[in-house]
Amino acid sequence: MTSEALTEVAVGITVNGRLSRHRVPARLLLSDYIRDVAGLTGTHVGCEHGYCGSCTVIVDGDAVRSCLMLAAQADGAEIRTVEDLADSATGALSPMQQAFHDHHALQCGFCTAGFLMTLESVDPAEWRSPERTVELLSGNLCRCTGYQNITEAVAAAWSTNHEEGGTQHG
Amino acid sequence: MSLDIDPRIRHRTRHIGRSVPRREDRGPLTGASRYVADIKIGGMLEAAFVRSVEAHARIVSIDTSQAEALDGVEAVFVAADLADVKSFPDYISYIGSVRQRPLASDRVRYVGAAYAAVVASDRYVAEDAAALVAAGTVYEPLAAVADLDQAMAPDAVRLFDHWDSNISVDVNPSRPEVDRAFAEADHTFAETYTSQRQTGLPMETRGVVADPSDGNLTVWTSTQSPHMVRTAVALMLGVPEPQVRVIHPTVGGGFGTKTHTYPEDVVVPWMARRLGRPVRWIEDRAENLVASAHAREQRHDVEVAYDDDGTIRAVRCTSILDMGSGEIFMPGTAPVFVTNACITGGYDFANMAARTVGVVTNKTPSGAYRGFGIPEGAFVMERIIDRVARLTGTDRVELRRRMLLRPGQTPYVMHGGGRLDSGSHRQSFEQALPDALAALARARARHAGDDDVRVGVGYCNYVEPTSPSYHLTTGHWGGHDSATVRVDPDGSVRVAAGLSAMGQGAETVAAQLAADALGVLPEQVTVVLGDTERAPYGLGSWGSRGAMMLAGGVLMASERLMDKARRIAAHLLEADDSDIVLTDGAFHVAGSPAPSVSWAEVGTTAWVRTVDLPEGVEAGLETSGFYHPENLKHHLDADGRINAAASWANGTHIAIVSVRVSTGEVSVEDYIVVHDCGTVINPALVDGQVHGGVVQGLAGALYEHFQYDPDTAQPKFSSFMDYLVPTCAETPPMTVGHRESPPPDQPLGVKGCGEGGTVGPPAAVAGAVSDALADWDIDLTACPVTPVAVRAAVRAAETAGRGPRGSR
Repeated sequence: MTSEALTEVAVGITVNGRLSRHRVPARLLLSDYIRDVAGLTGTHVGCEHGYCGSCTVIVDGDAVRSCLMLAAQADGAEIRTVEDLADSATGALSPMQQAFHDHHALQCGFCTAGFLMTLESVDPAEWRSPERTVELLSGNLCRCTGYQNITEAVAAAWSTNHEEGGTQHG
Repeated sequence: MSLDIDPRIRHRTRHIGRSVPRREDRGPLTGASRYVADIKIGGMLEAAFVRSVEAHARIVSIDTSQAEALDGVEAVFVAADLADVKSFPDYISYIGSVRQRPLASDRVRYVGAAYAAVVASDRYVAEDAAALVAAGTVYEPLAAVADLDQAMAPDAVRLFDHWDSNISVDVNPSRPEVDRAFAEADHTFAETYTSQRQTGLPMETRGVVADPSDGNLTVWTSTQSPHMVRTAVALMLGVPEPQVRVIHPTVGGGFGTKTHTYPEDVVVPWMARRLGRPVRWIEDRAENLVASAHAREQRHDVEVAYDDDGTIRAVRCTSILDMGSGEIFMPGTAPVFVTNACITGGYDFANMAARTVGVVTNKTPSGAYRGFGIPEGAFVMERIIDRVARLTGTDRVELRRRMLLRPGQTPYVMHGGGRLDSGSHRQSFEQALPDALAALARARARHAGDDDVRVGVGYCNYVEPTSPSYHLTTGHWGGHDSATVRVDPDGSVRVAAGLSAMGQGAETVAAQLAADALGVLPEQVTVVLGDTERAPYGLGSWGSRGAMMLAGGVLMASERLMDKARRIAAHLLEADDSDIVLTDGAFHVAGSPAPSVSWAEVGTTAWVRTVDLPEGVEAGLETSGFYHPENLKHHLDADGRINAAASWANGTHIAIVSVRVSTGEVSVEDYIVVHDCGTVINPALVDGQVHGGVVQGLAGALYEHFQYDPDTAQPKFSSFMDYLVPTCAETPPMTVGHRESPPPDQPLGVKGCGEGGTVGPPAAVAGAVSDALADWDIDLTACPVTPVAVRAAVRAAETAGRGPRGSR
């Protein structure tokens, strides 16, 4: 390793509305920051080379594979993770979470957070058609479900979930 | 025991047979689940393994000094440090012993074999140190054995010096009736079919956390078989088994790869004990591709005897499995035995001579992967049927109709002794056909007028052995599983079982079973799985056994519990226990709903107000059942045959494909499934198993092929960039139909459904592509059917002068 890799940098990152400041190794991946520093283990790491999409989070409004970004690069950013989707006061699931449950769109659940955050990052109005939904989700691997129930859940959530997407994001 | 729901228990609503919503969902949906990588213990260190980059080599020396000098490194261990650890147990006597050590010592036999381990303050430092150990390793390369031909050559380099060849197992039963049929048949042909190497690839890799505090050893591992891991760890480390607790936290998929007990399951606990601190190791994806079990690489040398009318008289098949290095516990040989046992599928065809061979090579050890040999055999049989149909001018559907088992033919004994206890072999095919033919017509219409696109249909009628013998091909364990049922003073029910959960919904199913067996609601049932300290000893979830074994264990335990509960209730009601029934959770005398006593009153009497217990009734309300299916055998019959599975599910898969001839691109336009797993406990979960299985099967049919360099045995793949896993964009429309043929002698008539989905696609897709390219007389003998493979077949046909006349 190089000495730069072990350099520590100061970051201030807002995760799910809470700003924290830390000194972290320059080489620390954002995925590891979220899991180990912020302590939010709902974001899962499936491949660490940016392919499987399990670690997808929302960084300043965009879906990002957190294993392909350094924590240092997220300095000043606002991040949302799967822990932010359900209603924090009542525990009620978001419409998309509920649709995943209703349509048996998860089995082992390891990839689920990545699917949910990818979906959360977009405007349903642009992605609602079956072709566009498949295009959107083709960046997330699932090994259990065979995808059919996932696309059905998305169609159901977005057909009843109106134009604003039904979420806080936007 | 009846192993059915007691008729004296009445419900407003039965829960078995309904799509009861999954209780497992909320954790993953909200991020609250705890997978093994999410476990954090104070003072915990992180481990990384150092893995061979040579396919076959002696390790001359390992310089660990640079790694040890690195800031944050606690320790570096090599094989010699683990001298006090016992080897993995040997297998059953007819399978070659590999004397597997937890870390490779002087010799490495595949790229990915772990030969050293580093423990450090964090994972980043551990990986830095592992790289330094790798750089400090001196190998003496040996000639690598990269495939079956190299392995079986007379002058082959041997992987194991104490063997006299690279053949681990070779079983060749004599079948004189097959020889007679070959002498009498009109024609014969010979062909070689192959199945390619794949791996299960759960989205969650493996991982182990071990905590040695308080003199005990707690191990969290992402496994399908925690009790098996516990026994292996205790045995190999020499720790009394009661001091070892193995837990699987939430498991992110298994697909068979997590049924094995791996070196890391033993080495991580050993390191934790040595250092006196918790140690965590999480496999990364690059490791997962070479250090978790591979599967499916088989060759089938086939001879077929058939008559002019399409009758298949006999088949000889030598099935040879490329086991990789063979260094895996349990052994990787079992799938090829399953291939041969299941090869004839749902067909009335027993005139089969099947030889089973396992061969070691310098590749990742082969082991379990969902389907476990069944898809490989189904592929061979369906390709044979299509070939005979083509050679004799027989209609492919009619030939299958002639051969399929009809109602009334079960129980049916297969060539190897497999006993098809019930099934809908012919009916499933007939049920699937109309949908398939309609889909075929639609596909033809879609592509009409485009001469470059050809459309075809392919069929597979398979059987799926469920709840198989573990012992037959391992020499260890057998085929039982367990459940403990308890009713607490407040009337709540707790079910703990030896089965595991890795996403299939086993907890929901256990709650449904207990609810109906005890007359309560699923919401009143707490389920505990995957913890050796809290659940009775079981073998875990593999071999499509979860549903049946849960049903057996829960019903056994519940029946015993109900006997006692009824005696307590009768005493409280001052009635005779034979008059007591349970209606919607209330015990009462049959015919008079009041007075009644609740489960809470019975539970309170059993645990708290024990002075009110009837005379002769012990305190407590907790019972266990250790269920073993009646039909499941572990030893060969006198004639060398065996029914090594408790039951046999069946199904029909039909694929409709289009092939673009100029590019070789194959699209699955429609996929039709009719599936029969006996009694369905939860239809949504069964559909989910089928959907996911089919897509994994399609991956094998079209995309996934784990390749090695043919000279060096170096793996060509190290990431998802090159090992192609299907996304939703590659998933075809799928129609799933059901039939239920409950076997009379299984609990509730449940069979099991975990693997069937994976079985049909290679056979159905290869059949469909061959049909689409019939004008070229193309008859595929291997998967995956990639564009390259299709183009090669078309070019070869055209070079030989075959092809649609005048069209190109």
